[in-house]
Amino acid sequence: MFEFTILILIPLLSSAVCYTIKNIRLQYSITLSVSALHLIFSLMIFIGWYQPNMPFYFSTDSLSKLFLLVLSNVYFWVVLVSFSYLKRPVASNSEEGKRYYFLLLNFYLFANTSAILSNHFGMYWVAAEGTTLSVAPLIYYYRNEEALEAMWKYLFLVSIGIAFAFIGILFLTLSAKGTSLEAQQLFFSEFVKKARELNPVWLKASFIFIFVGLSTKIGIAPMHSADVDATSNSPSPIAALMSGSLRITALLGVMRIFQIVRPTSTYEFAKIILIIGGLLSLLFAFIFMFKVNNYKRLLAYSSIEHLGIITLGIGIGGLAFVGAMYHIIYNSLNKVVLFFTAGNIHRKYKTREVEGVSSVLNILPWSGWLLLISFLAISAIPPFGIFFSELMIFEGMLFSDKPWLLAVTMFFLLFIFINMGKTLFQMLYKKNENEILPIEKERFEIIHFATIVLLILLIAIAVISPNILHENIINISKDFGIKL
Amino acid sequence: MQNVLSILFCLSLFYLAVTSRVKAYVTVLRFQGILLTVLLVFPFIHHFSIFALILPATLFIVKVMVIPRYINKIILDLDIKRMIEPTIQQFTFLLLVIFSMVIIFVASNILSKSTNIETIPFASGFSAIVVGIFVIIFRKKLIVHVTGFLVLENGIFLFGTAVASELPMMIELGTLLDIFVVVFLMGIAINKISSTLSGFDVTALGRLKD
Repeated sequence: MFEFTILILIPLLSSAVCYTIKNIRLQYSITLSVSALHLIFSLMIFIGWYQPNMPFYFSTDSLSKLFLLVLSNVYFWVVLVSFSYLKRPVASNSEEGKRYYFLLLNFYLFANTSAILSNHFGMYWVAAEGTTLSVAPLIYYYRNEEALEAMWKYLFLVSIGIAFAFIGILFLTLSAKGTSLEAQQLFFSEFVKKARELNPVWLKASFIFIFVGLSTKIGIAPMHSADVDATSNSPSPIAALMSGSLRITALLGVMRIFQIVRPTSTYEFAKIILIIGGLLSLLFAFIFMFKVNNYKRLLAYSSIEHLGIITLGIGIGGLAFVGAMYHIIYNSLNKVVLFFTAGNIHRKYKTREVEGVSSVLNILPWSGWLLLISFLAISAIPPFGIFFSELMIFEGMLFSDKPWLLAVTMFFLLFIFINMGKTLFQMLYKKNENEILPIEKERFEIIHFATIVLLILLIAIAVISPNILHENIINISKDFGIKL
Repeated sequence: MQNVLSILFCLSLFYLAVTSRVKAYVTVLRFQGILLTVLLVFPFIHHFSIFALILPATLFIVKVMVIPRYINKIILDLDIKRMIEPTIQQFTFLLLVIFSMVIIFVASNILSKSTNIETIPFASGFSAIVVGIFVIIFRKKLIVHVTGFLVLENGIFLFGTAVASELPMMIELGTLLDIFVVVFLMGIAINKISSTLSGFDVTALGRLKD
């Protein structure tokens, strides 16, 4: 019960407390303490210093431990920089957005932790919808027309997507008719154990509905549009939160049903669906990288690309699966860094259009260099983590029964790299003759500190490769029946 | 009894397909809410307990009282015009609905031979899901989209009772709460959209694209 209190009840409580307090600084202190506590506790659980025993519909396994740590880490850094973000001047009608900012963040942590730790499909569904509800008002932080449209689209499409996932869950109960699971509770762990008894036709339908429904939230093409709009129009910390932690929570739902499907005859079918989803995401990222002229949308498409790679890795299995698990960690760190620096650029230039941004390296040296480095990191340049995880995924592809996938993926990634690089280098280096922005020295702020720490973490995890992490990922692979 | 209620539910879908007034959509939502409540109460008629009434009572409050009243309030406040502004002819829409429902009923009948399902509630629930999606696709007004979403949710609920899924009450209440908050947020968003973008329909939303 102790772990339940710290991980789930305290965020809910602090959300309620934030509602009663008017002072933003006090709200910030409370939220930061809660997030630090959450991070320390998730780390303890991950390392194994604390053996959790969750009550009700919750439980932990290797997969949820990993995802919990990723969530906790992203959330902590987002909260840390949030106060400096809220201090920035905004349009007068946006002031009211600040009042609910920390309340919603705390509620997000509550909902997302519940989703990750849930052992019951119903619980997962309720919590996953809760994350959408907490994030949607945060997208509308700037109170402008684009943000409003993005919020509406996100709320509406994701709610329908999640409704589809619910139909998938109902199909899963149908597949259990006439087996020992009939009229039982929908516990993941029970379904995984007795998966062989399930009716394959309904299981197939269930997988499709859950995958397609949650795709709206993960950002798998062709259901990605609302997700791109939302990530590109929300304030940078929220975009980082969505790209770094919300997408993987939705991915968790897909992985749970994939785990159930594994021992059945539906497995091959599910793998193909995942591979198609991954390839389509890469294709869409590839196409839109040619024409996108808004740098935050560019980063949102990069998220689509990387979630596509992860889905592809999970679909292929073997070493690619292990690589995908590493990729989840590295991608979440890297996306936070990219969105933080993009936020700094947006503050200075007041535009998200690539055209309006020039010579960032001169005007904002800290943010400029950090953007450059994080771009190199996301493009899988060693020694950053993404390089190693992508290498693993590629190796897995090469030795799988579909080696041609490697060629297709490499082709897409090459052009995505070129186009993304072209756009970002233009922003960083292009000289603007009629420069109007005053050149003043960029101050070193907490957001730069957070970015540097995360970049170091990105290298350190890859180079040191902690044994505990490796063991955890091997355990996840075993749970998914992957033979290495 | 379940079959009778399901057929009434299907009739409400037909009414949805032929009516062109926004208010009628809200009335249909209310009617469907009542049907679902009766459906939930019915099994407990012989062995009555207060505990078993919690879920139907919440359902009634959320789906029959609060949400329809809230939508009506938005319609009044924003002075939304009575017509739904379809993008296709009403007759074509009706044909589409009938055609899909026939397919769903025939398919469910075939499926019921291999799996033990209640054909009529199953097919009615699925029809409502499809009709809800049609409403969202073929109507312009955002408030009508919200009602379409709710019809879809009602369909899922009916569908859930047909497959006799044993969701714990806490989770059922959670889903109801989620739906309520979604509609609440959508209502706020529509209010904002009408004031900032000066429009109540999808044509007002076209800023974000590549």
